[in-house]
Amino acid sequence: MSALIHDGERSDHLVFALAGELYAVALESIHEIVKVGPITRVPRARADILGVMGVRGRLVTVLDLRRSIQVQDAPIDARSRVLLLQVDEEDVGFLVEEVREVERFTPSQIEPASVLGGIERPYLRGVARRGPEMLVLIDLLPILPGREGSALNVGGQGHSYPGGGAP
Amino acid sequence: MAERRDDAPDKAREEFFSEASELVDGFGRHLLALEESVESGHGPDPETLNDIFRGVHTLKGLSGLFGAATLSGLSHELENLLDDLRLGRIPLSTAVLDLLFDAVELYGRILSALKGEQAEPREEVLTLLASLAAVSNERSGNVAFIAEYELAPETLGVLTEYEEHRLRSNLQAGLALYRLKAKFPLATIDSALEELKLRVRPVGEIITYLPTGDGGDLDAIDLEILVASRSAAAELRQAVDSDAVLVEEVKKRDLSQARTPPAPRVSERTDDSAIDLPDGRETPSPPAADEDEPPHVSMHPAPQVHEAAVMPAAAAGRDISLRSVTQTVRVDIRKLDRLMNALGELSLVRGALLRYAEKLRSEPATRRLGMDLLGVHRAFERQLAQMQSGILEVRMVPLGQVFDKLARIVRQVSREQNKSVHFVVTGGETEIDKLIVEELSDPLLHMIRNAIDHGIEPIPERAAAGKPDTGTVALNAYQQGNHVVIEVEDDGRGIDPHAVLHKAVTMGLVSMEDAKSFSLEEAVSLVFMQGFSTRDTATAMSGRGIGMDIVKTRIAKLGGLVDIVSEVQIGTKITLTLPVTLAIVGVLTFVVEATVYCMPLSSMEEAVVFDAALVREVDGREVMTHRGVTLPVVRLARLFSEPPAPQRATKQFLIVARVGTRRLGMVVDRLIEQQDVVIKALGRTLGHVRGFAGATDLGDQRVALILDVPSLIEECLTAAEGRRANDASLAFRFGEGS
Amino acid sequence: MEDSASTRSFIRAILEGVPEGVLAGCTVQEATSGFDAMRLLPRGPYDLVLTDINMPDINGLEVIQFVRKSPHHKDTPLVIISTQTSERDIARALALGATAYLRKPFVPEELVATLERVLVPKGGAAPHG
Repeated sequence: MSALIHDGERSDHLVFALAGELYAVALESIHEIVKVGPITRVPRARADILGVMGVRGRLVTVLDLRRSIQVQDAPIDARSRVLLLQVDEEDVGFLVEEVREVERFTPSQIEPASVLGGIERPYLRGVARRGPEMLVLIDLLPILPGREGSALNVGGQGHSYPGGGAP
Repeated sequence: MAERRDDAPDKAREEFFSEASELVDGFGRHLLALEESVESGHGPDPETLNDIFRGVHTLKGLSGLFGAATLSGLSHELENLLDDLRLGRIPLSTAVLDLLFDAVELYGRILSALKGEQAEPREEVLTLLASLAAVSNERSGNVAFIAEYELAPETLGVLTEYEEHRLRSNLQAGLALYRLKAKFPLATIDSALEELKLRVRPVGEIITYLPTGDGGDLDAIDLEILVASRSAAAELRQAVDSDAVLVEEVKKRDLSQARTPPAPRVSERTDDSAIDLPDGRETPSPPAADEDEPPHVSMHPAPQVHEAAVMPAAAAGRDISLRSVTQTVRVDIRKLDRLMNALGELSLVRGALLRYAEKLRSEPATRRLGMDLLGVHRAFERQLAQMQSGILEVRMVPLGQVFDKLARIVRQVSREQNKSVHFVVTGGETEIDKLIVEELSDPLLHMIRNAIDHGIEPIPERAAAGKPDTGTVALNAYQQGNHVVIEVEDDGRGIDPHAVLHKAVTMGLVSMEDAKSFSLEEAVSLVFMQGFSTRDTATAMSGRGIGMDIVKTRIAKLGGLVDIVSEVQIGTKITLTLPVTLAIVGVLTFVVEATVYCMPLSSMEEAVVFDAALVREVDGREVMTHRGVTLPVVRLARLFSEPPAPQRATKQFLIVARVGTRRLGMVVDRLIEQQDVVIKALGRTLGHVRGFAGATDLGDQRVALILDVPSLIEECLTAAEGRRANDASLAFRFGEGS
Repeated sequence: MEDSASTRSFIRAILEGVPEGVLAGCTVQEATSGFDAMRLLPRGPYDLVLTDINMPDINGLEVIQFVRKSPHHKDTPLVIISTQTSERDIARALALGATAYLRKPFVPEELVATLERVLVPKGGAAPHG
């Protein structure tokens, strides 16, 4: 990943699909996108942790994002990808169904997560409308075990979404 | 412009910490040497004192730069005291020595406070500062004359105060003064000088090096070296053994000519006077300086022993310290980890190479090519192995690094406790992985404290038992195959197994029932149980909230074992057995259902065919009699809730794991092979999972988990019932996802 | 010159980071000992020499004397940095021809200010001028 993605108020997001819904995360938080390799199950780990996977000599803990945010299960197929993040020198991967594209949102496109209704989730950042579609903006860091309380963006250059965190 | 101090680049900050800790460690080491030289009646060794001074001086400079005010303030006062000591203004008494030892302790704590690891020891620093100031006030004067010697003002003018002092004391002590003159090629001056130092060293003290000439020669430099010596000129010449070095004695001036006014004494370090240097006085007698009229600074030329930092009596020893200045590189251990990773990648390449080679060889048409490729593969493998051991070597540091600190602790604790303790250290040169060394200091510290606090008896009690007043605490280290063994042994009162058992039962750590089955040795090992403490009231010393259970846990984390042997009235010996390195482990790979796991060879005793018929159930736990001993058994497939493999294994195996004296049999489905693997830590995301020490790439793109045997044994054996229930509920909670 | 590696790298970081003024874009060359300095000094023109006093082998005073004797560097500004408690040594350094001194600890601003002052002597004291 390179270059700065900030462009005034706008910010780049990576859009991906999960159980038929579209989601987006800040592009700068993603270190790399890799194909799914053999994943070794780690017994007794939290249910959304698929296991560990080797990526060019590094050890990556892979979480199934569908399970993490509790949407329905789907099998891993050729379109599946792992979004790699580096958090405190640890490599963590999130399995997603399909990576779509990079999308730039302006603040006016983003609405607070509260429009979704339902329970508040620490990882929900807001909702972006794109024509008829609705994308759920999420932050991956709070999903990790032991970091639930954290609302920081990975990489630290926290983006704030207007109204995103407001009740 | 201008960054503020606290913006100091991270890298510089890191370097600061590492340099500061090195300086503090050196300080401590030198102090011990100093104490020894004082105790042996030789008086303080000037070079050691000067080394300490220079260290504190540098530390002060550093701490100032990095905005570490406390560190800087303490160093400032300390520097004054050390300056007085090395200049002979105050004598080195035991009280002063104590203050210096205190300072080392405080330095350590301040540094860790700076890193945010603990609160700053403000009170203690203030107390120490006050004591330092009090000592400095006692300083006495020391005046002498050097001006009677035929030394050019040009020479005298560039001596630092300290150098002047050394010159003065040597002359006062009746030593002769020599001037060595030589031309050194600049390119090789360092090594040439080192050699000269080594030669001069046994017969004299080098006071200073003075470059002469006008610098017009780009390739060489003329040096004048002042040496104080008891030997005659001829002997010195012989020692120097070089025609290129001119040795001449610096004579006293002929006083009858008395043209030199009595040396104007620079008043002692008064604050303003220093500037008003006695101005250019006519001093015709010595071959005075020429045109560029060097300021005739007043005269007590002082000798110097700056280079003392590079040359003590034992030439060889000094040589080492010199090298550490010029030939070592500090490397961030993470960089080594990266190299290690790259190496892991290369092993994968090697594996692929081998597969292709084998494939080619198996076809008649390409047999030759395959053979050639196999040759290449072998060469590659050899180099790879060399690289691996090279990188591992770099990670190794001598245990002495930790041991030196412990010597100070022994001194401090025994003083506080009013006990007389002789601390004997062997094997400080034994090398071990840097990461392990760092994790070792706390456990060792605790063990040593325990030995003095609980082990060594007060003097009257020792006398009554017919033991010498001075107790002995021995710290021994040695390498044993792929392990490093560290022993802490004392000749104190020992641990009474009956008392331990009684206590354990009273505290409810062990049931009465179980207590009966313990052997005496096992009973002693109970001190490692969580929550165990042999004294009702924790003493200020070892009772600081951590016990032997922490020692055990920490060591186990490093893949090590702790054993304890004790005999009442004779003493106690605790043995730590640690892997030499954390990065590479020898493992046995095996399969449970369809998953491959690794078992560190260091924690396993043997692997045998499992006979399910021998298993019986006791208290809800499976055990079997193995080689005449009862062995608890755990089925890994069940423990890990392994999804069943498509094909059931017909025969199973039992791996007998051992940590310390405790054993556990693990039932697995298939054994694969023994191999060396690069261990990679599991990240924080998996921090909630117990039972795995890390993972490794096996070379077929698959990652295999490495069992954390100590934690598995802990889990399966200790307080089996309650513990297991707890874990289950814990796992369940995680299992739900949060 | 300065025998402590972290002090050297700290000073370098400060100096190379100066964005404007005489120091902007300066090149810093480090010497680890007096001998090292003697190897470097005769080889080139330097605009300024910065040295510690308390160093192994050749001390800072000796370096000053050497520098002042060299035809290239008779007039090169020379600044001492030292924690030296001995006022006498600082006095000697100045007497030997040092242009200015700076006591550790100092903040980056002090270093920069001192160096800028000696590099642009505006009627100020410039001994051996």
